[in-house]
Amino acid sequence: MADVAVSVPARFNPWPATVFVALCILAALFLAPTAGVLLSSVKTTRAIALGDLWSVPDRIYLENYAEVLFNPAVHRYFLNTLLVTVPATVASIALGVLAGHVFAKLPFRGSNILFLIVVSGMFFPPQVILVPLFRLFNGLGLIDTLWPIILVHTALGIPICTLLMRNFFAAVPNALREAALIEGANEWQVLTRVSLPLSLPALAVLATLQFTWIWNDFLWPLIFTQSDDKRTIMIGIVNLRGQYTVAWGVQGALSLVASLPTLVIFLFFQRYFIKGMTMGAIKG
Amino acid sequence: MARVELRNIHKSFGATEVIRGVDLTIGSGEFMVFVGPSGCGKSTILRLISGLESVSSGQILFDGEDMTRTAPSKRQLAMVFQSYALFPHLTVAENIGFGLSLGKTPKTEITRRVTEVAKILQLDSLLDRTPRQLSGGQRQRVAIGRSIIRNPKVFLFDEPLSNLDAALRVSMRLEIARLHRKLGDVTMIYVTHDQIEAMTLADRIVVLNGGRIEQVGTPMEVYENPANTFVAGFVGAPSMNFIRCCVDGDGVARFGPAGIRPTRPHEVSGDALLGIRPEHLALVDSGQGTFDAEIELVERLGAESLVYLRAPFLERAITVRAGGALGLSEQKLVGVQVDLTNLHVFSPSSPTLKQDP
Amino acid sequence: METQNRLWRVLLLALPILVFSVLVIWPLLSSFYYSFTNWNGFNRDYEFLGLRNFAKIWTDRLFFNAIVNTTIWMVAALVLPTLTGLFLALLLDRQVRGARIFKTVFYLPICLSAIVVGQIWIWIYQPDWGLLNTFVKLAGNPDFNYAWLARPDSALFAVIVAWSWQQTGLSMVIYLAGLTSIPSEMLEVCEIEGATAWQRIWRVVIPLLTPSTVVVVALSMINSLKGFDILYIMTGGGPFNSSDTLAMHMYNESFKKYLMGYGSAISVVLFLIALTVIGVYFRQLRKVDEIYG
Ligand SMILES: Nc1ncnc2c1ncn2[C@@H]1O[C@H](COP(=O)(O)OP(=O)(O)OP(=O)(O)O)[C@@H](O)[C@H]1O
Ligand SMILES: [Mg+2]
Repeated sequence: MADVAVSVPARFNPWPATVFVALCILAALFLAPTAGVLLSSVKTTRAIALGDLWSVPDRIYLENYAEVLFNPAVHRYFLNTLLVTVPATVASIALGVLAGHVFAKLPFRGSNILFLIVVSGMFFPPQVILVPLFRLFNGLGLIDTLWPIILVHTALGIPICTLLMRNFFAAVPNALREAALIEGANEWQVLTRVSLPLSLPALAVLATLQFTWIWNDFLWPLIFTQSDDKRTIMIGIVNLRGQYTVAWGVQGALSLVASLPTLVIFLFFQRYFIKGMTMGAIKG
Repeated sequence: MARVELRNIHKSFGATEVIRGVDLTIGSGEFMVFVGPSGCGKSTILRLISGLESVSSGQILFDGEDMTRTAPSKRQLAMVFQSYALFPHLTVAENIGFGLSLGKTPKTEITRRVTEVAKILQLDSLLDRTPRQLSGGQRQRVAIGRSIIRNPKVFLFDEPLSNLDAALRVSMRLEIARLHRKLGDVTMIYVTHDQIEAMTLADRIVVLNGGRIEQVGTPMEVYENPANTFVAGFVGAPSMNFIRCCVDGDGVARFGPAGIRPTRPHEVSGDALLGIRPEHLALVDSGQGTFDAEIELVERLGAESLVYLRAPFLERAITVRAGGALGLSEQKLVGVQVDLTNLHVFSPSSPTLKQDP
Repeated sequence: METQNRLWRVLLLALPILVFSVLVIWPLLSSFYYSFTNWNGFNRDYEFLGLRNFAKIWTDRLFFNAIVNTTIWMVAALVLPTLTGLFLALLLDRQVRGARIFKTVFYLPICLSAIVVGQIWIWIYQPDWGLLNTFVKLAGNPDFNYAWLARPDSALFAVIVAWSWQQTGLSMVIYLAGLTSIPSEMLEVCEIEGATAWQRIWRVVIPLLTPSTVVVVALSMINSLKGFDILYIMTGGGPFNSSDTLAMHMYNESFKKYLMGYGSAISVVLFLIALTVIGVYFRQLRKVDEIYG
């Protein structure tokens, strides 16, 4: 594709323009679904039902957003999602940091195998541990609380966090650790005073990844919660479908509002996000 | 301040034994330099002394106290790494004060000590910079500053100057010598590849080979009385010439047409290796010297020249250090005069340095 | 030193390994155990059934249906995003104007939750005013009113398209990373040897992208095995189980019919499939590593 190598200035090279046009068309196709939701969210239900969804509105109708933003159930869903996402993100990264340091700087016999076992946890379908975890938390009386969701996300975050932190820590020169040890630091101080400050990008990568995944998760809250005031936002979207059956505009607004935190994170920390995605995928 | 004793130290990494029985006592306040070919275990010994690696067997004592199992942080020593190992996220001041900041030393005390050390090393104006903003020599001084601030008993240096350019290396060498004098009697253990550093800095030199000590002695001892052909060949640049010869009953060493009688006492007879340093050979007119040889190549270094000679009875070219070397041209036949008082005779089974042919 | 290191290893690893073992490893192993029982999810007691759950799998028409759907789902969800991702990566590799913006557009769907993606595509497939049917109507078929998600013939594929829309960005990112790691000398050699652009792509670039392909393929397969949310919201496995996959079937048996023992048996099968994929993946990864360094 792209341009044909030797560029003779006199002759018109059609490739860059072709590629650009092709990309524009593809991008439009890719954006169309999202654009549709955006459009529906600023239209009245009537307008949509009349097949008027795909036209640019002459008047922006904000009632749908008002409906969503002033709905106390939505507040509850948001709060619950935050209460799950923030602790689980922090906890999984913290555990990944601890394990990653050992795998990078204190390898031992069998540590490679242990590392492989932990990392392969990333690949298994969660359905495999669904039933035993349900029984476990049921036995502990924690069903219909946020605790199981937090705990499970913490545990399921360990593989990716350990993998990324190990790779980052391994890139910190050994001499820095040794210099610190000789200066009188213990391993904990090596980690907190030397390795971690040097791995802030890794923390940013993991924070964006984990936050997004946990925020977007649907399966675990579906299994572990039952009452409406314990549900998270993704379940909320499904629940409110019943309430707003034909209120397509409200549903669109709700979807957008629910995606807003992850969209913002993605747009601002895209670099970290992509880095995490590729590192997690390739170094596995 | 501390006498460091190594007793029968062995160290293996997996199945490969890297240090094979090292016994050594480093006196309090001594400046000890380790030299040896790459991979002979210099860094490993240093890391064993520091405690960063644990010995496989043997004992390490500081002032008679067993330190073999003591953590590096408890050994009261400092280490300067080849890569400097400065913390990139900390300023110069924070790097120097790092060790103190780990403990309970009050902030004002740290600042005071850092300023003091910075003055000694002329780093006063750089305290707020980060390592990336420093030149190589400045980084090296920060690394030294970080190590002296805690008044360690033992200093360990692993090729500290090898990342610097030639001029800086000379000035840092002087600075380290000055530091050793200024700090009084701290023990310094220094690994280097550089012959001049070794000769000028050392109180004593340890020559290592394949995880064993070949010789320990003052620089001049090692230079003048090498224990074997390995040491003889390793110490001194350009390296000593070795000529295969046969020592007869009268103590005359014969090779090719030549027969000479070394004046130093030795106990070798029969097949032997004659060791002659390039500076102990002189060029004379053909026929006037101990033997004749053809000039293969002349390297003019300015103040002196290195002349490489070939003769049919010599296995490899020999090197002669000559003065101005005026009138020397390649392929010319010259006479070689041997300084009989500085001849070394080695048994052919003595361990040798592997040389590129 | 070794003594301290040992202590720190234990101290630092204790918590992560404990959490991981209790909440991942142990449940994984006990899934095998429950697959031999008839636990219903609530009662304390259950019976030990031996291999009866697995025997039931053989006669379960819905299980067979789920296996077929999972295979279709895996293959399609493998081919579509991989090819589109590769195509986009090749287009974007040369410095096109606005490449940054294009990239953002293509991987934006990754950050959306599967629920939102499902929701979006429900709109697209909406029979009366959805984007798809609107297009068909504009193309000269004004009475077209096909309910894509409500017809057994099209439901599964409709979901696969939505899924691919989200996953394409991931393949593209991995391929782009692979493309940047191809040394430019190799492409220069092509120019000197006089290869056409087409030859360059087929004979040099794509073979050199093999490591990325291995990753993309494995990841797509694993992700599609996990895929559940998007099916749940778009079709719920219907209509008439036409889009029921193993993950979906497992959920229905365990949490709709409360046959948790039987559900566990299905999850064990799911696990074994995943294990095979991962095993092949790691083997290929090592092979690729030997060749491509
Ligand atoms: N952690 C290790 N694991 C395995 N082998 C090692 C390790 N550290 C050193 N070695 C081996 O031990 C031998 C001695 O290494 P050492 O670093 O002490 O050499 P050195 O004398 O410092 O060499 P150089 O002059 O190149 O720095 C080498 O053969 C090296 O490969
Ligand atoms: Mg070394």
